[in-house]
Amino acid sequence: MIATIIETKELLETVLASLLAGVGITAVFSVAIWGGARFADLNRGGRPLAAGAAAALGVLALVATVAAIVVGILVMTSK
Amino acid sequence: MSSDVILVIVVGTALAFDFTNGFHDTANVVATSISTGAARPRVAIGIASLLNFIGAFISISVAATVANDVVDASVITPTIVFAGLIGAIAWNLITWWFGLPSSSSHALIGGVVGSAVAAAGFDAVLTEGLVGKVLVPAVVAPIVAFTVAGIGIGLAYRIVGRQRPGPVTRGFRYGQIVSGGLLALAHGTNDAQKTMGVITLALIANGTLAAGADPPTWVIVSAATAIALGTYFGGWRIIRTTGSRIIKMDAAQGFSAQASGAAVILASTHFGFPLSTTHVINGGVMGAGAAKRISAVRWGVAGNIVFAWLLTLPAAAAIGGAVYGLTRIFGTGALGPVLVTLIALALSAAAFARRSQQAAPVPAGSG
Repeated sequence: MIATIIETKELLETVLASLLAGVGITAVFSVAIWGGARFADLNRGGRPLAAGAAAALGVLALVATVAAIVVGILVMTSK
Repeated sequence: MSSDVILVIVVGTALAFDFTNGFHDTANVVATSISTGAARPRVAIGIASLLNFIGAFISISVAATVANDVVDASVITPTIVFAGLIGAIAWNLITWWFGLPSSSSHALIGGVVGSAVAAAGFDAVLTEGLVGKVLVPAVVAPIVAFTVAGIGIGLAYRIVGRQRPGPVTRGFRYGQIVSGGLLALAHGTNDAQKTMGVITLALIANGTLAAGADPPTWVIVSAATAIALGTYFGGWRIIRTTGSRIIKMDAAQGFSAQASGAAVILASTHFGFPLSTTHVINGGVMGAGAAKRISAVRWGVAGNIVFAWLLTLPAAAAIGGAVYGLTRIFGTGALGPVLVTLIALALSAAAFARRSQQAAPVPAGSG
């Protein structure tokens, strides 16, 4: 009775999507911030190559964050 | 003629509710950004209003749930919808008065269910829809937001933990402009649709629309406008509760709380679950706080909020039922709704006048 009332599949998909999107965006954006902070430190420390790599990772993570948000909105709001 | 007058009153009342929903929920959307210093209050509220408006156009799944899956549209009359709306507005004003971030959404659904039961008995309630699409998600969503925010902030601290705090805080503050915007968009998407659903239900009950019809464009535009205006003029009192009294947050926690809240609300909107955005964002705030340090969360304040959450459905239902009884004293015509509207307007004006003498805006970065 309860199982038929509760929309189990939709509810589970909601939980899974929320976990992936919420945790994923926070983690990937943290990588972007890490990249920015490391770039500044390494550049100041006279290690331009390592600084460039950190910056590249940071930019990549930032692009991934924006892409995840856009794709998330499109997927979540489409039927 | 009489039914058309009632319908006009219902639409006006629904838009007034939508305004109070935005007014009441402003705090939920912007408090996190303001309390971490990511945005000035006026800027945060302006952006939130605009994104609330845009969000209202994104989906109609939640509107369909409210219009078709909570109460039996075949026994509903515009007067029942009116009484439910007054019940919800009254409960929103009561909780606003006491500064409690209770759920406008549950107030609306509780009010409509209460007035429907008072008018047509428990058979008027679609138990399957009410339990499966409202009550269960209502319990699950804040827990998910709590968990997602907790895991998210745990990962964030591991990733940026060894970096200098200055750039990290600045980075998350910039990020909060986006995550706060996303939360406002999600809020508009889910909350404005509840009003669209109620107006659609009234239009179906009046015979203006066929059963199962989608909200007309004018309903979508007017609901979007009302919630955006309500958000713009929103409730400063509740910002204090959400933004600083539950937990003192840093920018990373604010980002994690907002991202988790937006993710849960958008995912739920996709499946037509009419969530409480208040529950979800407070769940996210508590999760982000508890993951750092359990004692960082002021559990006494959190307990008061949970108490308000639990009380909302039955209290709004009781008021909705009582209002229906009051309108029926004056018969089935428009006189009852007109008199109740005048009484509600007088009481609301008195409450706002009294409160405006006491309230003062919260300065940027407070808490």
